[in-house]
Amino acid sequence: MSLRKLQVQYITGAHRRLRRMGIYIHVPFCAKKCAYCDFYSLTDDASMDAYVKALCVDFRRSRTDLAGASVDTVYFGGGTPGLLGHKRLAQLLKKLRSNFEITADAEITLETNPATLTGEDYAKLVRAGFNRISFGVQSLDDGELATLGRIHTSEDARAAVKAARTAGFQNISIDIMFGLPGQSEESLGRTLSEAIALEPEHISFYGLKIEEGTPFHEMRDKLDLPDEDLYAKLYLLGAEKLTSAGYSHYEISNFAKPGLESRHNLRYWKLNEYIGFGPAAHSYLNNTRYGITRDLNGYISAVTAGQLPERSESEPVEPEAQLREYIMMSLRLSTGINRMVYEARFGRSFEKPEEFFRRISRGGLCVPTDNGWRLTAKGFLISNTIIVKLLQYLDE
Amino acid sequence: MSLSLKDINSIRNFCIIAHIDHGKSTLADRLLAHCNAVSAREMQDQILDNMELEKERGITIKARACRLNYTAEDGKTYELNLIDTPGHVDFHYEVSRSLAACEGAILVVDATQGIEAQTLANTYLAIESDLEVLPVINKIDLLSADPDRVKHEIEDIIGIPAEDAPCISAKRDINIDAVLETIVKGVPAPKGDPDKPLRALIFDSQYDNYRGVVIHLRVMDGRISAGTRIRMMATGAEFSVVEVGHLTALGIAPCAELLPGEVGYLTAAIKNVSDSRVGDTVTYAEGGAEEPLPGYRAAQPMVYSGLYTSDTTRYPDLRDALEKLVLNDASLTFEPESSAALGFGFRCGFLGLLHMEVIQERIEREFNLDLITTAPSVVYKVKTTGNDEVFIDNPLNWPDPGTIEYAEEPYVNANIIVPSEYVGNIMEICQDRRGIYKDLRYLDATRVELHYELPLNEIIYDFFDTLKSRTRGYASLDYEFLGYRRSSLVKLDILLNGDIVDALSFIVHSEKAYAKARKMAEKLKAHIPRQMFEIPVQAAVGNKVIARETVKAMRKDVLAKCYGGDITRKKKLLEKQKEGKKRMRSFGSVEVPQEAFMAVLKLDSEE
Repeated sequence: MSLRKLQVQYITGAHRRLRRMGIYIHVPFCAKKCAYCDFYSLTDDASMDAYVKALCVDFRRSRTDLAGASVDTVYFGGGTPGLLGHKRLAQLLKKLRSNFEITADAEITLETNPATLTGEDYAKLVRAGFNRISFGVQSLDDGELATLGRIHTSEDARAAVKAARTAGFQNISIDIMFGLPGQSEESLGRTLSEAIALEPEHISFYGLKIEEGTPFHEMRDKLDLPDEDLYAKLYLLGAEKLTSAGYSHYEISNFAKPGLESRHNLRYWKLNEYIGFGPAAHSYLNNTRYGITRDLNGYISAVTAGQLPERSESEPVEPEAQLREYIMMSLRLSTGINRMVYEARFGRSFEKPEEFFRRISRGGLCVPTDNGWRLTAKGFLISNTIIVKLLQYLDE
Repeated sequence: MSLSLKDINSIRNFCIIAHIDHGKSTLADRLLAHCNAVSAREMQDQILDNMELEKERGITIKARACRLNYTAEDGKTYELNLIDTPGHVDFHYEVSRSLAACEGAILVVDATQGIEAQTLANTYLAIESDLEVLPVINKIDLLSADPDRVKHEIEDIIGIPAEDAPCISAKRDINIDAVLETIVKGVPAPKGDPDKPLRALIFDSQYDNYRGVVIHLRVMDGRISAGTRIRMMATGAEFSVVEVGHLTALGIAPCAELLPGEVGYLTAAIKNVSDSRVGDTVTYAEGGAEEPLPGYRAAQPMVYSGLYTSDTTRYPDLRDALEKLVLNDASLTFEPESSAALGFGFRCGFLGLLHMEVIQERIEREFNLDLITTAPSVVYKVKTTGNDEVFIDNPLNWPDPGTIEYAEEPYVNANIIVPSEYVGNIMEICQDRRGIYKDLRYLDATRVELHYELPLNEIIYDFFDTLKSRTRGYASLDYEFLGYRRSSLVKLDILLNGDIVDALSFIVHSEKAYAKARKMAEKLKAHIPRQMFEIPVQAAVGNKVIARETVKAMRKDVLAKCYGGDITRKKKLLEKQKEGKKRMRSFGSVEVPQEAFMAVLKLDSEE
């Protein structure tokens, strides 16, 4: 086998004999819906136990899907998974271990709200095996938090991070948002400085997007949203501040201390397989992407009755689409698009992408890597446009 | 069944002249109904304007003819041939040929609005063609109708008696028989000699998939029947007649023979509509007439524009569409051209702006094509230093300024009628368009007729729209070609990102170059979306940049998160954006949406 081929296999993960897998569990409960959020979640917590039971049935049923695969990432997302409480969470994790082969070094993440759990809860979760926690901090400015409709204060956020640390979490992530109504460079700068001072291992730095069907969408004309130029400034300011503080900008919206990138999320961006449980969860298995219908009761009754939960969508990903997905996702990452993957995995010449990136590099939108190209922060800002242009150029 | 000479006295050939919206088509429909030319079931509004576009725009684009049988008060049955004429200045020549096929014209005037510029132009044309002009006052049912004032206006301005003009409402079916009686009594019977050599005037033709070209004609002398060998006097083409007949409201009715005074059609297995030119004279192939009927002239396009499909793969469909349209419209010309910016397309010649718009709309609608059109251009005449005279209908072919001795541009005589309070506005517009004031006259206490000589290139873009908007819609316009005049002309180029976009170049008077350049750059800046890089937009005459704008670089897209559930959605979104961009034209690396093209065509309109 040629060295080149080996390199490619290494990059694509094909050298591993074992099938690696990630598990996502959607927890559709929140104490209160936030004004901007369009994730599937309900504020009625009466069916929590029934849901946990259904998930356990679903795990069991899915054993054959994951036969022979070893699971090295588990992610409880939501919603507010922390709302389930440490007992239910520990039970779910136990069930996962009994049904699937979870590796000893697996990254097991819990998302939660800073105001939901106590120090004791965190300690119990660590003991149950959770080793990564992700807090939806969003801002450390109380005015901004109120606008967003969050239930926590900046003080709650600081306390939560410290409590989780004390309880033994060694991998803590916090979400920070920019482009908020009324947000200025100063207020974002303050939030980021304070966030850095909390020394989380990972920071997700998201731009606010006004989603249809949310209260923010209803009142979008009255929101004091930043214009295009300010939005770009806020993003670049954040990227600069976090990078200077030692975080690597490894994905458009994600920053991490070296080696502490979110392994689970990287699965998505590297087009690796994952299986999702629960309503609104998505899976990518055997070259098919599918999603479960956003209906908690429908999910519970189907699974409990021994049936497959209803799918809202299901789509085989043909090789041509895999190439498009690769372009789309690889350009979100600081590793960028790789010539060898492009040529070996998709059997395409890299000539056109090479020419394309060389042409746009003069505007500072991308820079060459050892074996391809990656977007700069300025390029990330208009990555959709760049991707569309590239796809269009490849079509010509 | 042949016509004796006595029968010629029962024929009346007439047309209807009216300004847009004064009710010509409605009246035509009423006449058809009163003569039972169509049954109640077949009666749909405005039979004669049967092109969808004509109905929508309320205008007649192609001439049409129809035979009616009317039993008059004197007990005799008359054969009335209504020849419908196009109602727009672009079709001036076509109107003149239709008029030449008639002995009389019904002049329809709106009882609330009075005479308008087009009414006047066509009425003068009818009088010049020796037609008996018979006024009819329409819309008397409206509250603001003032038939007496309008009658006086007709007498004062046109100088024909209007005292006995029927006052009618075509819409409400009031007094229609009076119009029919006026036609019978007022329109002279045709004259002609069946034994003289054949002379028949072609006033229209249509293409039929089975019969080939169907020629609509008016017989002046001689006779035609199946088997007659005929010759077209202008083109020299010869044919054997296959069929002759009359034109009816709903189609055609074959008959044995057409005689002098009659209006009808002939077919002769003619494949090509260019063998039957409007205005040409049909005669016998052997022993034909010495002299053709007067007034023939080859169709002369006045305005040229490049037509391109926005989807470049549909170029062959555009060719098909144009080939089909010229079958029925010999005044449309086209030849292939190519543009670095737009790919392959056609340089098309039109009689005028309306003709151009109509053709474009028909292509888009009837052939389902998305068009990009380049700025319309008139035909310039350039005298080169090598003493050659060249006609330029495409800015791309504009010679190097060093080789131009002098250039000439076409001028028109424009006739504008407006309420007197807008005279100032009109004069301002005309002066701004390099118009030369000729005269002004009051039609009555409140309305004024203005004469200007104007360069055609100043009115082909949006002159009429501007007139309308500056006079709250009251201005009416008519113009005719006057001749070529020397002028100081330059070619203005547009550069995007440093590259000339050939399709946006145009010829402009040197004094207006700066203003146009500035507006053009501003418009393009406003219509070109922000792109990955800053894009300079420049306008230049030769090597000299005279205006510059910058399309700023795009700063951001939506930075949405992208996790497991977002991938499919995101992929679809990007695919959709990619398809959307196909509708833009890439010039070098700059994407220009179609609206930007359209916007620069309407440079002077106020937005």
